[in-house]
Amino acid sequence: MFIMLICGVTLSLAFVGLYYYDVQQFNTEVQQRLEKTRVVLVKNLVTLLAEKPNATELPLNLLGSDTQITAAAVYSAEGKLLASYIRPNTTEIFPLPQRGSGLLTNESSVVWTTLRDGNRTLGKLYLKAELTQADMERFSNLLRGFIIVFLAAALLAVAVTYRLQRHITQPITELAQVSARVQREGNYGIRVQTVASGEVGSLIAAFNAMLENIQTNTGRLEEARIAAVQTREKIYQANEQLAEANRTLEKRVEDRTRLLAKAGQDAAEASQAKTMFLAKMSHELRTPLNAILGYGEILKEDASDEGKTQTIADLDKILNGARHLLGLINDVLDISKIEAGKMEIYLETFELQKIITDVAATVTPLVAKKGNQLFIECPTDIGGMHTDATKLRQILLNLLSNSSKFTEAGQITLKITRLSGPVDDLIQFAILDTGIGMTPEQIARLFTAFTQADASTANRYGGTGLGLAISKQFAQIMKGDITVESAPGVGTTFTLSLPANIQLKPSAIMNHTGQSLTRSPFAGQLSQKKILIIDDDREVRKILSELLGLSGYATSEAASGQSGLTLAAQLKPDLILLDIMMPQMDGWTVLKKLQSAPELAAIPVIVLSALSDTDLALSLGAVSVLRKPADAARLTTEIAAQLNPLARCYVLQVDDDADAREIVARMLEREGWQYYAAVNGHAALRLLKKDLPVAILLDLKMAGMNGFELLDLLRKNPAWAAIPVVIISALDITQEMGDYLVPRTLAILKKGNFTNDQLRHLLRPAIQACALAQN
Amino acid sequence: MPKILLIEDNEMNRDMLSRRLAKRGYAVTVAVDGEQGLALVGSTAPDLILMDMSLPLMDGWAATRLLKAAPATAQIPIIALTAHAMDSDREKALTAGCDDFDTKPVELERLLGKIDALLKKHPPQV
Repeated sequence: MFIMLICGVTLSLAFVGLYYYDVQQFNTEVQQRLEKTRVVLVKNLVTLLAEKPNATELPLNLLGSDTQITAAAVYSAEGKLLASYIRPNTTEIFPLPQRGSGLLTNESSVVWTTLRDGNRTLGKLYLKAELTQADMERFSNLLRGFIIVFLAAALLAVAVTYRLQRHITQPITELAQVSARVQREGNYGIRVQTVASGEVGSLIAAFNAMLENIQTNTGRLEEARIAAVQTREKIYQANEQLAEANRTLEKRVEDRTRLLAKAGQDAAEASQAKTMFLAKMSHELRTPLNAILGYGEILKEDASDEGKTQTIADLDKILNGARHLLGLINDVLDISKIEAGKMEIYLETFELQKIITDVAATVTPLVAKKGNQLFIECPTDIGGMHTDATKLRQILLNLLSNSSKFTEAGQITLKITRLSGPVDDLIQFAILDTGIGMTPEQIARLFTAFTQADASTANRYGGTGLGLAISKQFAQIMKGDITVESAPGVGTTFTLSLPANIQLKPSAIMNHTGQSLTRSPFAGQLSQKKILIIDDDREVRKILSELLGLSGYATSEAASGQSGLTLAAQLKPDLILLDIMMPQMDGWTVLKKLQSAPELAAIPVIVLSALSDTDLALSLGAVSVLRKPADAARLTTEIAAQLNPLARCYVLQVDDDADAREIVARMLEREGWQYYAAVNGHAALRLLKKDLPVAILLDLKMAGMNGFELLDLLRKNPAWAAIPVVIISALDITQEMGDYLVPRTLAILKKGNFTNDQLRHLLRPAIQACALAQN
Repeated sequence: MPKILLIEDNEMNRDMLSRRLAKRGYAVTVAVDGEQGLALVGSTAPDLILMDMSLPLMDGWAATRLLKAAPATAQIPIIALTAHAMDSDREKALTAGCDDFDTKPVELERLLGKIDALLKKHPPQV
């Protein structure tokens, strides 16, 4: 359509142009003819008028030959009509003279010419012309011709257009339509159906190919989308399963933990039951025997007084039986205790000579009964031991009575030697006899419980078969051993070797990890800080004194709780290092007494013990608890910190759960922040009274004073109320609790559900502010 | 004759020991529990006390502490008697204030030796 329009317009314009041109040509021709006539006429007229102006005899009739002239008139210079001519059968009204020329209109044109002779105006010539018939015909022909040609051309144009449309417009239109449709419907399956050749064909092919491409891609995209949705579904399901598994796992962990806790509890209870059983059995079994032995003795004394010798002999038999039974019971109880792991060791320092004398006195009757001789070889400077005296006595008695049992009319020698060693001395007790001896097989079975050399031995020699087994166990408990050499028919030598001193080795007291010790912050000043060391172990005191001396402190020592208290009252030390396991007065008692004495309560006490009851120590008033073996650097750092309260920007942990405290403590340590722990509100208050922390980490559920009560108390004291409090609790915070806690605290964290970063973030400002204030 | 107060809840032990001590020439008074024992200390003013540690109601350590805390009775020597063979009990007894310690079953000679030693240190008030 458009093309047609273009064609039409172009064609029309062309024809119009052409037509116009032709018409112009025609016009010009006519004009020229007219001009020719006019010129001649003008010339004639000028000549005539020049001769005779206003002449009326003018040869206008000559114009009759020219068919196109319809009228003519000559005017004088004044405007007076001089002569005129009108073509026959024509009407004419002659106008007044005026200037200008004319244009060939439909039928006539008018020309005015001014007749001049040199400068002189002779007059005006009025010439009116018309197209001649011939002209008219020619003009019509021309027009007709043009119209015909125009129509032909138009037809041609239409034909061409039509052709064009089929080959170009239509395919392109269809292209456009398909495009629109595709866009509208989103259906990329549509294709341009028309087939065309040439460039349009290429365009269509390309367009179709593009649609094909898009369709394929869209298809793939859709597939991918569906796959993605499915995957998302799967992920969602997987997540759900994971969450479920998590819940299950948590529950299982809870269950397992509960089971473990119960198992642990059961084990503890079982162990406790064992101990109580052993103690009870010990009592139950011995009581009747005591009655037998006791009354037997009384009867014997009465009989003795009355001289009833036979009665005495009979009573002796009863008493011997009872004593033997008692021995058996003791052995069985001992072995039970050992095997239950309940055999304890009790260390004391004693002189060896005394023990030996006692033992010798006890066995002498037994030895003599078999006709044996007892020899004791003990150097006078044998010195003392620090070990379990009772067990040593029992072992020696056992070995000596064994020797005596299996020797007749022989010699039994007890030889004691002290061997010096690099770390400690070894005491050797050799019991030699000239008895029946043992074969290697017998030696092999020797220390096994419940076996004797052979079955007949039990019959002949009596005994439970436990004695040696117990002795060996005892020796090992005391870090020593029993060895035996024997030759049948020659004799036997039992050798008991024991370290002269059983005590914690220096490395078990102190760990020097190579880190530098923290020197006293007051070293070099006139007033050196005094530290009181209370520990019953001489080695520990020695090492601590050295260590603290190196760090710049003055030290005093006390070997017992009691002397420690006395010394503390006298010296008023700046700090006390306190052991717990001490005879007579243990560390707990010392702590209590220190706290109850007003002038001593303020002295910071660091508990240094092998025990792990941190909570108890803290609640009794210790400021800090370090486990033996203590890290030397840590100890000196702790002491320095305790003595320097002004440099202390510490975080106060109030929580009765040691594990929860530990988790937070590690974070605080990593930041290099000081912290002290309290197990409940009361302990916390004690610390608060000594020194204000920069922040309090507060648990809610605690025995004694709980978190809420402490919070209340804190608010009542203006100095304490200003300390920021972070709640760290396992409790579910109800709305009410939250309403109460939120305005009074900095933050509420749930145990196990907060990150170290969060806590650090909360505490850092307070600690930094405090640190700045110190400088 | 030196006066001994025996505080022991077990009838047989009480009987045996008191008879044997009486035979050796001691004036023996007996009490069956801590409370009675404390009362008898006041009324009989013994020269030495043999205190069983495992008494009902008030145990031997508590009774000992009370006796040692009161100035009137503090100087009376006390020997603790216990069936427990553990040495820590010895320390416990001494911590409570006992002057000596002996185990049951009682070896009379041994006990007599300890009694004598203590009576020498704290002669009976005439």
